[in-house]
Amino acid sequence: MKISHDEQDGVAVVRFEGNLDTNTAPEAQEALDDLIGAGTVKVLVDFSDLDYISSAGLRVLLATAKKLRGGGGNLRLCGLNETVAEVFEISGFSTIFAVFPSEAEALEGF
Amino acid sequence: MIDLGTILGGAEGSVPEARGKIRRLLQDLTSDPMLATRIAAVTSELFRAANRIEQVGRIDVHLSLDGTEPEFVLDLVGVGGRMDHSVAEAFFDAVHIVRVDGEPSVRMSLHLPHIEAQARQSHRQRELRDAVEEKGRDALMRELTVKNQELQESFDNLRRTTTAKERMESELNIGRDIQMSMLPLKFPPFPHRNEFTVFATLEPAREVGGDFYDFFLIDEDRFCFCVGDVSGKGVPAALFMAVTKTLIKSRATNDFSPASILTHVNDEISENNDSAMFVTLWLGILDVTTGELSYCNAGHNPPYLRRASGEVVRLAIRHGPVVGAVDGLVYGEDAESLQSGDFLFVYTDGVTEAMDPAGALYEEDRLVRVLEARAYGSVEELVAASTEDVWKFQAEAEQADDVTVLAVQFTGREGGAAGMHVLELEVGNRYEEIERVNRSFDEFASAYGMPEKVRRSMKLVFDDLLNNVISYAYKDEAEHLIEVRVELSPDRLAVRISDDGHPFNPFGRSSPDTALELEEREIGGLGIHLVQNLMDEASYTRRTDRNVVVLVKYLSHEGGANEPTEEQT
Repeated sequence: MKISHDEQDGVAVVRFEGNLDTNTAPEAQEALDDLIGAGTVKVLVDFSDLDYISSAGLRVLLATAKKLRGGGGNLRLCGLNETVAEVFEISGFSTIFAVFPSEAEALEGF
Repeated sequence: MIDLGTILGGAEGSVPEARGKIRRLLQDLTSDPMLATRIAAVTSELFRAANRIEQVGRIDVHLSLDGTEPEFVLDLVGVGGRMDHSVAEAFFDAVHIVRVDGEPSVRMSLHLPHIEAQARQSHRQRELRDAVEEKGRDALMRELTVKNQELQESFDNLRRTTTAKERMESELNIGRDIQMSMLPLKFPPFPHRNEFTVFATLEPAREVGGDFYDFFLIDEDRFCFCVGDVSGKGVPAALFMAVTKTLIKSRATNDFSPASILTHVNDEISENNDSAMFVTLWLGILDVTTGELSYCNAGHNPPYLRRASGEVVRLAIRHGPVVGAVDGLVYGEDAESLQSGDFLFVYTDGVTEAMDPAGALYEEDRLVRVLEARAYGSVEELVAASTEDVWKFQAEAEQADDVTVLAVQFTGREGGAAGMHVLELEVGNRYEEIERVNRSFDEFASAYGMPEKVRRSMKLVFDDLLNNVISYAYKDEAEHLIEVRVELSPDRLAVRISDDGHPFNPFGRSSPDTALELEEREIGGLGIHLVQNLMDEASYTRRTDRNVVVLVKYLSHEGGANEPTEEQT
């Protein structure tokens, strides 16, 4: 699992590469918590290079979204592959998260 | 008093013949083979001794149903006053001097214990029903309830029957009805399965014998089948059969080993086996994905394996004596690997001991010749060919015993078992191990061109299920091994995950509410919800000391395992 991030127009764009699961969730949570801790309120997670996400990964997204909302911030997601999109559908996450096809579309109006 | 005939008259017939006739008559009437042998021996010896002085006399046999208990009555006609009563009194319930046709005769009566045995059997069945109920095996429970009702109705009918002779006949008929009602008779029994076929037939003798067969799928991959022959006849034998069959089925749901199943069944039956009945049993479990057959033979006729190549192999090993005879016995088992097209042929001694009109036996050699004769196209064809040959041999002679034949053909999955790829892993109960599973699975998936979507779904399923096991299955801090087996066939991906943790059904909970708003959402139960929705089949079974989860994902609508999708990178 590789995590990288940069900032575009006041939005922290986080890119996950590999798997977001039991073993990588703590690392992902830590990275996102660091951003929030540093005052970031707008986070876009790009899943383009993510292979799969399990419930442990969903837990990270849920916790992050709750923390951002608590601070008046927001979380957007983009680049879901077919499997990740299916997982979002099954879990109902597709209705509680703002999901966009690409980074450009997600950044528009964020 | 029902006259069962004169079995030794004057110059007609010999004493040994009379002994055989008495034994057979008694065997038909009681469930105790030793009793029949003993009484036949005593009677013939008494008669022989009494007749040494003067060659007169005959033996008349009757069945009396007038008293509170049925009685088997032997009249030694013409030997009154010449016989030592003390010997007879040691073996019979009553010995009197009577006049038969004006001749001084000895009348020896014996209470038949089989009605008692019947009562004991139905008591045992009630106990068993209670045990089964306790375990919550609803299906078995229903089956037993039906049998109990049938039995009650049968007994009621029996009591209402007016004449004693009818009572005798109806008891045998009831026994046969119970026997036949227990057999699976619908063929093909698993029309949606193409890995194997099964066909069986049981032709009952005029008076009921004790044959039975049974088969069922234990789970997705395991097919259990058995053939048995219960000692004795009538209602007691049929009930014994019902109990045996129920015990086997109940045990097989949690036990993969034929040896262990029969050891357990033997213990259950032997423990309180007052009726001294027993059953020969052959039981096999076929893994229909791999063709691996494990089997246990408890005093039964060795079955035959007819290879697709034409080779006929006798599975000669017996792993122990008949079931029900010796308490605390441990049976063994053996294994054979079936290839696509191989037949397994299981039968009872009614086949090899069928008699032609001249009294010659059918014998195993003749059966082998039928098996070797030609290639058979189906299980039905093989069963028909073998039974027809028995009928041809028997011709006008009366069928003495039940004739049972069961054939199983292993065909393997579409394209054969060779089209299947297997990945087996042993995983420690540490979270880092999940990563190792997923790496191995990725290599396996890319080697055999598994569709991307299926590969990704499966990886998250591994993550969620293994996480579950590692987090919750163990109450100690010890190292445990989780077994993972992946089978990739052209049409499906099947995965089995088993652990030795405490019993836990991951699919036993209700699904989380996925319609809640973000603030209300909890993560609990979501992983299992994902697994159930991403897989086509997800099931849990507790087997002996392991939790077993089986997952299946069909590939047909994904474009086949060997055709990478456009998604593949």
